[in-house]
Amino acid sequence: MTVLQWIPHLFLALPMLALIVNNVIPRARIRTTTIAMSATVAGAQMLLALAGVFLLVESGESAVRFGMIWDAGKNVGYFQTDLVSMFLLMCVGMVALASALTALTTIDDHRGSYTNLLMVMMLGLNGMLLVRDLFSLYVFLEVTGLASFVMIGMYKSTRDLEGAFKYLALSALATIFILTGLSFLFIKAGSLAFDALTPALFSGAGDGSTLLCWAALVLLISGYSIKSGVAPFHSWLPDAYESADTAVSIMLSGIVTKIAGVYSLLTLTRLFDGIAPLKTVLALLGMFTILVGALLALAQKNFKRIAAYSSVSQMGYILLGFAAGTNLGILAGLLYLFSHSAAKSAFFTNAAALEKQLGTLNIDEMGGLQKRMPITSGSSVVALLSTAGVPPFAGFWSKLMVLLALWSAGLKGYAAFALIASILTGAYFLRLQKKVFFGKPNPRWDAVVEITGGIRVSEILLTIVTVAVGLVFPLLLLYLQRAGLI
Amino acid sequence: MTGVANWLNQGAALPLALIGLPLLGGVIAWLLGKRYALQVAAVLVFGLANIFLSLALFLGGGADVTLPFAGYGFEGHFVAGGMSSVLLVFTSVVAFLLARYSVSYFKGDTRGGVFLLFYFVSIGFVNGALLSSNLPVMLVFWEGLLVCMGVLLLLGNLEKPRAAIKMLWISGVADLLLMLGVIVTIRVSGQSDIAAMGRLPVEGLGAYGCALMLLGAMGKAGAMPFHSWIPLAAEDASSPFLAVFPGSLEKILGIGLSIQIVTRIYDVRPGSAMSTLVLVIGAVTLLFGVSMALIQKDMKRLLSYHAISQVGYMLLGVGSCLPVGMVAALFHMMNNALYKSGLFLTAGAIERRTGTTDLRHVGGLGRAMPVTMTCFVIFGLSISGFPGFNGFFSKELVFDAALESGVVYYIVALVGAVMTAISFLKLGGAAFFGTLRLPRGIKQVREVRAGMYLPAVVLAALCVFFGAGNRLVDQWLFQPALGLTESFAGWPENWVLVALSVAALLLALADHLYGRKKTGGALGSADHIHHAPGLRQAYALAETGKLDPYNWLVAAVGGFSRVCQWVENGVSWVYDKGVPGLIGGASKLLHRGVNGSLTRYLLLAVAGFAGVLILFLLILL
Repeated sequence: MTVLQWIPHLFLALPMLALIVNNVIPRARIRTTTIAMSATVAGAQMLLALAGVFLLVESGESAVRFGMIWDAGKNVGYFQTDLVSMFLLMCVGMVALASALTALTTIDDHRGSYTNLLMVMMLGLNGMLLVRDLFSLYVFLEVTGLASFVMIGMYKSTRDLEGAFKYLALSALATIFILTGLSFLFIKAGSLAFDALTPALFSGAGDGSTLLCWAALVLLISGYSIKSGVAPFHSWLPDAYESADTAVSIMLSGIVTKIAGVYSLLTLTRLFDGIAPLKTVLALLGMFTILVGALLALAQKNFKRIAAYSSVSQMGYILLGFAAGTNLGILAGLLYLFSHSAAKSAFFTNAAALEKQLGTLNIDEMGGLQKRMPITSGSSVVALLSTAGVPPFAGFWSKLMVLLALWSAGLKGYAAFALIASILTGAYFLRLQKKVFFGKPNPRWDAVVEITGGIRVSEILLTIVTVAVGLVFPLLLLYLQRAGLI
Repeated sequence: MTGVANWLNQGAALPLALIGLPLLGGVIAWLLGKRYALQVAAVLVFGLANIFLSLALFLGGGADVTLPFAGYGFEGHFVAGGMSSVLLVFTSVVAFLLARYSVSYFKGDTRGGVFLLFYFVSIGFVNGALLSSNLPVMLVFWEGLLVCMGVLLLLGNLEKPRAAIKMLWISGVADLLLMLGVIVTIRVSGQSDIAAMGRLPVEGLGAYGCALMLLGAMGKAGAMPFHSWIPLAAEDASSPFLAVFPGSLEKILGIGLSIQIVTRIYDVRPGSAMSTLVLVIGAVTLLFGVSMALIQKDMKRLLSYHAISQVGYMLLGVGSCLPVGMVAALFHMMNNALYKSGLFLTAGAIERRTGTTDLRHVGGLGRAMPVTMTCFVIFGLSISGFPGFNGFFSKELVFDAALESGVVYYIVALVGAVMTAISFLKLGGAAFFGTLRLPRGIKQVREVRAGMYLPAVVLAALCVFFGAGNRLVDQWLFQPALGLTESFAGWPENWVLVALSVAALLLALADHLYGRKKTGGALGSADHIHHAPGLRQAYALAETGKLDPYNWLVAAVGGFSRVCQWVENGVSWVYDKGVPGLIGGASKLLHRGVNGSLTRYLLLAVAGFAGVLILFLLILL
């Protein structure tokens, strides 16, 4: 077996191993190191997946298939990973690392449970990325969701359990939509394996069962949209992020909604490539999401809520990239997802730093914190510029690619809209920066000092990622071009 | 003289000498600003040198020089011959007299040095413009003159440079038209040298070129609607400035070029539309100028309106496009330069002694300033066209040309003559005759120094000579200038016209006496015309500037900029208030909708599902 064939196994094996270790060793003993262990697992996943991406590109194969306990042999296995999922596995590792580093500081009680839940969540996310049929996808989606509900509720920060409950209630609605949709598809196709689901299902002329497929599509889009927090299905999201501990918010915003929702939607578009209405609806949803998210972000006073609505808004760009439907569009969407994950995770670590040092997240009470917390402030500014699409940060390139993909796919109106709407992104983030870090210093915070520990490491790490990826992006594009991906 | 001409004809000596010497003289006169005697000497030397060189060229048979630098249509081709040598000689004489006057006028005044500097530079530019056979090079000199005038007007009133701004605007527009005309002309003819043009046909693009060039040239001379800066300059600028620029140099250049356009560059026929254009502008300028002159109570302002109206006569001559008209225009232009400059000199003398030229405060100076008064009388008789004086002869020629072009133009010219006479009877009567009136603070008045009255005396003598010896003048100047063999000099042949002219003068005298009797003084002798029903309202409009095209332009520009301001404000509002307000409003509205109720969230999600369904239905059906 080559290294490339070994790596995918580790994405499932490592979290399970950590889960076992965490529960075999007595709690009192492992208390101090448990979160560090999950951070190690996350970091390892990030590096492994990164290596996997390059190895996969170099090998020239489109995907690696494998089985976990019983190996059914090459190209038969029930798991598979291609470039898209390998890339997203790397994102999962990165965000989980940021979350664990933050958790080192923010989480005091139930530290062992944090590791358990994070590992389950990673298993769920990795599973979603590795499976080869829609039903398994749904199962891992629920695994992820389950871990999320508990995490939000267990590590509540400012509010009560309301956020977790709302997420649960809306997820139940999503479950109804998804399961109904899956059953419709199963009736029609007789299987939910990716190989069996093709655009051909929709072309049965005059057949009543074609209607089932369309209905399934509507249901699945709605269900996955709830999971990904696309407007108008987004309302649970800010409440959940706000009430959760920041380490949990980072996971939710940075990767859970992305994999659970957006990756599912991406899977739909990849399976049913060529179904025009699907793309049009996704594009319209994307536009609506950009607008609503940005407008709502403008009116918020809580740092985390602004970041949450910003997440909603940015989701729209990713959808627009996927809606372009071309290879370039999917690539642009994924890269956008990556740069957004990095920037948004940085924002949430900033939020954690502020909450820890100030005890509040109300931006009206802040002001002039630049001098007191230079690292947090700098990381926040970089994240802002990247998200708003200012060169040379990662966000600029990915936004540019989304616009190019839309333009070249003939969706010029959407491209123009996306460009103009990014002014709104700049508007709400500048408002945030002005109120928090710039402006007149509030004497109340004269004694405040810069954050230390895992949060600081996390801030610096994510900022370096944003800047470095922005700087090497042209090289990355050249590499991808040489690999024949764009 | 021939030797000098030959020397000048060699290489670059001609333009260098005639353009460079005045520039040098100006600098020297400026540097000698504090030493009066040396300054006078410099003016004498350089003024006389200018006359000498011009005369040498004129008598030596002209010259033709091409400088070795050329490019982009600019070619240093200078020709002295025909019209240009005649005008050079005439200009040099008038310029010398005015320069001599100016030195004395500005004695003890720090502005004198700068005035002389720019005056001499202007003479250099005028020489250059007259000599240039290449149209673009001529424009360069032409613009140089504009700059000099601008500077001098600016120095006249530094705190409020309204006259300078107005002049730059108006003359700038006129020069722009001339420039466009030159461009079109070069395009039509294929080259830019006047000597090689050979009368282009006035049709198609050529018609526009001709009209634009004529408008520019007439604008330089001060015709309507490019006139309105002159009365304003009369308030701000010194008398020497008025004598030099609106009085002589501008007319020499403007009318000189107009004659060239009509006779050499374009083939303008009598009775053509182009001819009518010039005639109409001439007639309107004449009537408007003289009407406004009639009611002025300040000597300089009154004279400045005459400086406008006299252009009308010249243009009636040019516009006729007949040989007699050309002689008339040239003759009248020279006469005007003599007596109008002279009149400004007398005004300057009064100003120098009393500090004002406002006839409501000063008057009856005849006994105190006998030489000035004598000169004024000669100038006044000349400009009014009293039989035997130079103005009479040139005006009769203009009448001739106007009558040939159309009886309307003749009537306008005759009415103009009547009003000119009326206004000068009033002016002379008030300024020099009657009881002595002096401004407060001045007890007695003496005659001005010889340096100031002698130039005026020489000008007066020239007026007499141009009248009595008009045959000689015609033979010496006009025939070579216009290349004519026919003579239009001598006593007019048409006795009816002469009789009508004399009747016009008598009518003016009768009116003057009537006005005097009515108001009891010379100053108010034209008031009955000013206050006549109908005219009074028209005058009120004109006096407040309501009829001034410049003011219309300024108002239009102001209106345009206000409209721009509104648009700007509107756009700013959209950016500053509109868009942020819209976004902020939408944001608040959405925010209000989020109340944390789970029911609402669920309903919203179901509504989203319905929305997706509807979208699919819309697309599929």
